[in-house]
Amino acid sequence: MSVELTEAAGTSAIGGAEERPSRSLRSLLVPLAVTGIALAPIPLWLGHSRVLMGVAVLGLTFAGYTIGFNLIFGSTGQLFLCVGSLAGIGGFGGAILADRVGLPLVVSILAATLLASLTGGLLSWITVRRSLGVIFTGIVTLIFALSFENLLLGLSSITGGDSGIQVQAGSDTFLRQRIPPYYLMLALVVMYLLVHGLLRRSHIGWAFRALRDDEIAAELAGVNVVRYRVYAALIGSGILGLTGATYAFTEGRISPTTFGFSQVDVVVVVMLAFGGIGTLLGPLLGAVTFTAIDELLIDLGQLRELVYGVLIIFLFLWVPRGVIPTLRDVFRSRGRTREEK
Amino acid sequence: MTANILDGIVLGLQFGLLATGLTLVYGLGGVLNLAYGQMAVVSAMVVLFTMEAGVPTLGAVGLGLLAGGLFGLLLDLTVLPSIYRRQGEARVLLSLLVTLGLAFIVDGFFNWRFPLRGLSLRIGGGPIPIFGVPMRRGSLVASAITLAAMGGLLWFFRATITGRAIRSVMEDDEGARLVGIDPRRMLRLILIVTGVLAGLVAVTRSMVAPVTVRAGFEMTVSALIVTVVGGLGSVSGALVAGIILGIINIIAASYIGTFLSLIILLGAAAVTILIRPSGLLGVRE
Repeated sequence: MSVELTEAAGTSAIGGAEERPSRSLRSLLVPLAVTGIALAPIPLWLGHSRVLMGVAVLGLTFAGYTIGFNLIFGSTGQLFLCVGSLAGIGGFGGAILADRVGLPLVVSILAATLLASLTGGLLSWITVRRSLGVIFTGIVTLIFALSFENLLLGLSSITGGDSGIQVQAGSDTFLRQRIPPYYLMLALVVMYLLVHGLLRRSHIGWAFRALRDDEIAAELAGVNVVRYRVYAALIGSGILGLTGATYAFTEGRISPTTFGFSQVDVVVVVMLAFGGIGTLLGPLLGAVTFTAIDELLIDLGQLRELVYGVLIIFLFLWVPRGVIPTLRDVFRSRGRTREEK
Repeated sequence: MTANILDGIVLGLQFGLLATGLTLVYGLGGVLNLAYGQMAVVSAMVVLFTMEAGVPTLGAVGLGLLAGGLFGLLLDLTVLPSIYRRQGEARVLLSLLVTLGLAFIVDGFFNWRFPLRGLSLRIGGGPIPIFGVPMRRGSLVASAITLAAMGGLLWFFRATITGRAIRSVMEDDEGARLVGIDPRRMLRLILIVTGVLAGLVAVTRSMVAPVTVRAGFEMTVSALIVTVVGGLGSVSGALVAGIILGIINIIAASYIGTFLSLIILLGAAAVTILIRPSGLLGVRE
């Protein structure tokens, strides 16, 4: 069979998972508050260990990456395989602006975020204008990601090459303490979820769903397809850049592998597909689950990669739509008899 | 300059053979096999271990190709059936994730048991001059095998009934079914063929440079880029794109420097996709 490539078919074929959000604000704020409260006590449990808190911060960082990717891919069907690179623009951009150019820390973070956002928007604009399908958008952005990694390795006078750079700015602030970075990252993640949730219920969210479900019908109904895809990429890439920059300043050391394709993009795709593409809380669930799995497998040493692979295969053959949509269906079919099955 | 172009062609032929395996499975089954590079690594390791066990080189190579084919068959029998139940882009995405898992398994296994191993086949004898440029014998043998394999494939698709049946499934699997072709069987055959091709890639590549246990991911990515530039589903496109990208890569590396050369290679691929999304020889939809 041949797959239709030029038509930018939406992710409805893949996930079709996005529920229609109800209009009441409570239905958005309650889950977010519950999420925030559920994750807030983690430092009480892990706070004694610097290493474990680092893992927790990394988990939330990945939650941020996955939310950004979900906004771009899950909402508007653009397969951006340069999540790590956009975060890297934030991370390296922020560190270089603060340490080399000497801008204040907050200004550096914001400038780097803006740069990541604009880069993502530009990539989106190019691929949408050329009406590339999901797979081709994926490959163009993958090419961008590989080029970016090579650029980081090559420009070693600025980026430190293989070994990366030590981030000086912020080293004497709360950003390098044991517990505050966790709450900073948690606040960011809740803010991202809020932004995504509010977007979904605004007219932009309606446009996203319309163009994802049926692009041609959406265009005929007057949705500006180019504009809304670029919007999604701008916002999503901004989230990626901000997360990457914040992570760089809390971690204190970044290298090309911090933002590498295999280290970030592969993991993010797995996390999102596990949680449920297009769902609000799926990215967070995926990030938390896989961070935990990763940590549990750490004793296996070299075998970890193998076990990870087995897990991925079974998870996706077993719950290919992701956990949240599957659970929702289970609850619905228990709650009431459905008209069609 | 001549030397660069010849080196580029040697590299390009490898790229082409690498991409062919990926493009066939994608064109036929809508499955993006991200474990493709790992198939080659498995073959390379089988060749290495059987040679160490005392099997003569030619026999070891045969066993390596067989292992590649078996890998393909195993893939088709175990994970692919549940992937085929889905259609279109859902299938592509699921296949991508599941084969990624498979790639992790293979990489993880080799990194755990046999880290740092690599296969390199040495072809004896001094360099042979071609157009006044001394070429390594290994490169020439590798290129000759690649050309023969590609020629064989093109002949197979044009002249044999099975080959034509496969092409008809690529074009329209409903139509193929109506005239009595079983797309599922063709797909199984193609997976075995691509497994053997992956083995061949490993063998020819090891004549030029060692194929390590970690080479899988890089091979998959090169194959993906060449495939896209050549046009998904097109064997001759893969060959042409491979040679062009090979030449660009070598020339950029020798005039500009290695780190920019990869970026130029990637840039060339990106520009091709943006100008002609269907690839150089792909079918416009």
